[in-house]
Amino acid sequence: MLVEIGHFALVLALVFALLQVSLPILGMVKNNVALAQLAKPLLWGQFFWIIVSFAVLMNAFVVDDFSVKYVANNSNTDLPSMFKISAVWGAHEGSLLLWAMILAGWSVAVSLFSKRLPAEVLNHILVVLGFISIGFLLFLLITSNPFERLDIIPLQGRELNPLLQDFGLIIHPPMLYMGYVGMAIPFAFVLSSLVRGQLDSTWLRWSRPWTLIAWAFLTFGITLGSWWAYYELGWGGWWFWDPVENASFMPWLVATALVHSLSVSEKRGAFKHWTVLLAISGFSLSLLGTFLVRSGILTSVHSFASDPARGLFILIFLVIVIGGSLTLYAWRANLMRSSNSFAPLSRESGLLINNILLVAAMLSVFLGTLYPLLLDSLGLGKISVGPPYFDAVFVPIMIPAVLVMVIGPFLRWKKDNTSRVFGLLKTVWIGVAALFLVALFLTDNIFVLLAVFLFIWIVLHSLVLLTQRLQQKGRPSSAFFGMILAHIGIAVFVLGATVTTQHGIEKDLKMELNETIDIKGYQFTFKGVDNFNYENYQGHKGIIEVAYAGEKIATLKPEKRQYVTGMPMTEAAIDPSLYRDLYVALGESLGDDAWSLRLYYKPLIRLIWLGGILIALGALLAAFDKRYRLSFQRTAARRSRVES
Amino acid sequence: MSMIMWFVLMIAVSTVWLVWFLKNPLKSNLFNLEKSNVALGKQRQAELEQDLRQNLIDESEFNQAKQEITQTLAIELNQATGADTLAQKNIPLWSIGLMVAFLVVASLGIYQLLTPQPKAELIPQIVEQSEPPSLKQSMAELKQYLLEKPDDFEAWQTLGLVSFELGEMEDSLSAYERSYQLNSKNVSMLVEYASAIATSQNDQFVGRASMLVREALEINPNAPDALYLAGLVAANAGQFDLAKKVWQRALSLLPQDHPDRPILEDILVELAQIQGEETPQYQVTINIDLSERLRQAEFNEHYLMVYIKAAQGRPMPIAIQKIKLKDFSGKVTLTDENSVMPSRKLSQSTQVLAVVRLSQSGAAMKQAGDIQVLSSVINVRDNPTVDLQVE
Repeated sequence: MLVEIGHFALVLALVFALLQVSLPILGMVKNNVALAQLAKPLLWGQFFWIIVSFAVLMNAFVVDDFSVKYVANNSNTDLPSMFKISAVWGAHEGSLLLWAMILAGWSVAVSLFSKRLPAEVLNHILVVLGFISIGFLLFLLITSNPFERLDIIPLQGRELNPLLQDFGLIIHPPMLYMGYVGMAIPFAFVLSSLVRGQLDSTWLRWSRPWTLIAWAFLTFGITLGSWWAYYELGWGGWWFWDPVENASFMPWLVATALVHSLSVSEKRGAFKHWTVLLAISGFSLSLLGTFLVRSGILTSVHSFASDPARGLFILIFLVIVIGGSLTLYAWRANLMRSSNSFAPLSRESGLLINNILLVAAMLSVFLGTLYPLLLDSLGLGKISVGPPYFDAVFVPIMIPAVLVMVIGPFLRWKKDNTSRVFGLLKTVWIGVAALFLVALFLTDNIFVLLAVFLFIWIVLHSLVLLTQRLQQKGRPSSAFFGMILAHIGIAVFVLGATVTTQHGIEKDLKMELNETIDIKGYQFTFKGVDNFNYENYQGHKGIIEVAYAGEKIATLKPEKRQYVTGMPMTEAAIDPSLYRDLYVALGESLGDDAWSLRLYYKPLIRLIWLGGILIALGALLAAFDKRYRLSFQRTAARRSRVES
Repeated sequence: MSMIMWFVLMIAVSTVWLVWFLKNPLKSNLFNLEKSNVALGKQRQAELEQDLRQNLIDESEFNQAKQEITQTLAIELNQATGADTLAQKNIPLWSIGLMVAFLVVASLGIYQLLTPQPKAELIPQIVEQSEPPSLKQSMAELKQYLLEKPDDFEAWQTLGLVSFELGEMEDSLSAYERSYQLNSKNVSMLVEYASAIATSQNDQFVGRASMLVREALEINPNAPDALYLAGLVAANAGQFDLAKKVWQRALSLLPQDHPDRPILEDILVELAQIQGEETPQYQVTINIDLSERLRQAEFNEHYLMVYIKAAQGRPMPIAIQKIKLKDFSGKVTLTDENSVMPSRKLSQSTQVLAVVRLSQSGAAMKQAGDIQVLSSVINVRDNPTVDLQVE
């Protein structure tokens, strides 16, 4: 019965979303404040019923209610409790419910924390968010009902994909969804402004902190995903240019462009066209990413066709959202005229170049991800687009973007001159050149040298900028510190990614008992394999002792698991450090106590995720700048009253 | 509390919520759009002055920027439509009634529309038909019957078999499991259940399937069906002597005219061939035609992973060769020497696929960007030669 209650709660959430859209519109048309002001309470009601629905589904997992098809397909009694909870979003239906819940949660946050937004603006925004909720709730209820019952109740459920039985996957999807869904907020701000015909300062000012928070979550979600793929998949890689990864990377690139473009639009009133387009495309790509991953189109183009109802719904929804918003954009284009001029050498130009490069990079990823799918679905043959394409196209676009990134903050608004900029930066560039000369003695790998150059370039510029600003009167804003932190995060990431790719060592080998292999001075000795049993799996655990300079530093125990349902799984063992990771994955038994093993030496790989964390923290620091905070606003308002 | 009562309660809570906020609307904040834009305009000017103090804008540009802020504000104020003056009006009772009615009808209507109807409702139509019931009709009838008599283990077993025949493995395994829980001493059920499990795991008689066969033989050591499956379990584990013994015993227990006798006899002949002589060595030759593009020097350091995998069952390679493209001659021959596991040699396989994968990394698993080509199903015992084109 509880399951039916959960299902009915989801229906009620849909009805609340329908009312959330229709009644406030009626109120605005009929000039009735009681109806217009219903947007907030109806949204809260919608959120409440989605939470009830989500809690019921979670309960079904916890109590092993296998009468629910979704539970029976993704959980069993042997599954540890922690994973029963994360199994709720382990597959299509539950993850869409999580999507809907996070969207409602974001909307509630906007309704509660946007105290300085005029009510009419906020109501419009909540109506747009209500429209998106309707789309998702209908998709859930019509094609992906998580509460569907089974005619025959199995006594035991299936296995949650072993890859998902991991702490990283408990938090990675919610974080990523927070980012994906968060992109709906700037989108709703833009749409509401276009609908109202007022692309004004209010929209620009108040959408920026939400965009920064969404961008921080997206960064953190992608970083978590990369970290998970590294330690869980057993291949030692941290990014595969896999279409699923690209699906989250594309909105990230656009969101990066958007947070920068918003700052120009907000301060100087320029780039409004561009900012609107970025906000629309950021959310459109988030939607596209979610559906690409969740429709199954990426694992096989045919799975799209195998469920025509889902596929058709997805297409219609995407067409409505993307087509509708672009039509609105075209209709209101005349509102975005700007006479605010700027010279070719100015901070605005720097940010524009950066934006263009980021969007070009996104388009290169878009092409490499979707073109093979398009060809395949049209029956025009199969092509494979992999790392060689992305390395050749994406990386060269990003290098100038990274170079320009740290010059921009030194430039003046509107107009600057080369001699001033040169005079300001010449000592920095001498410093970069001097440090780079030192680096030339450390490695002859051209890619590593390039990465070291970029690292020095970013860090030195950022530190000089920080020093300059600290010397000026008045404490810099937290947005400024956020920018410095995020830029240094990029530097750290570039260094880690390049060094680990270029100097990482992989050995795929057969090891006899007590055999020792040397990799970069680390001696890996194979000490055999133990068998073990756990709650829902059994398997083999290899024992590899690692010594450095004759001294034992770690014992690594990689696992080869066989889950009760027969699914095999490799669990790598890692000895981590900031300087390097030692990574071991157990392969197959080759008889006579010999096993195949994969050994990896991964220098500076931790910098990749450290960089991601720094970027996310930088974004959060900028989002909570005092100019966006309510307490600051109240103080300013009080001061203004006193002055008047 | 019944489900209907819960639904009524949920609708009541929703209605009270809606009506409460209709009667007591949330107060708008004091900011209208005009005030907000004016305040932001002032703040932008203050920030501009700060930029000037921090030397982030030239003095000559400062005045122009200041003017632009004023102009922008003027445009924004001009755009304001005055829509911020919404009137506080009472909502007539009939309107509230209409909204509540919508809430009730929409929620119940959508729920009714989206909830799958119980399949049992189809039964009366089926019963009225005069033709013999199809498998699907039988299944529907059985389900209806089991709703009334859920403890009938034979009915669950029949349902398992019918579902199996219809290819609905999930339902079949669930039904057999129910039958097993009700009576685990039913040999025919145990044999059918074991077969269903093995089918669901690519014909592998391992794990639960082999346990069920053992349970069946503990109950009746002379059950031919169970003995036949026991032979498969042994063969699966590579214990061919035991398999032979078990199948011979099954054959001796079957009547002369039993339709399963030829099957068992064929299996025993095949087994004798395997055991009676030196195990023949087979090989698969793969001619690989690389496209012009892939013959370029830039691909020299790429790896060609050439391997054989079972046409059905585990995806892991049986035999493999990993060659750098610069060392590749155009032809690869895979023999037992290239077998990955000593217990699973190439010559022991029959129906297989030849796979060629071009990989930059040479990693064992397929990576994004790898090009992979598969042959059609081939029989290792034909010592086949396969031509594959990689583009």
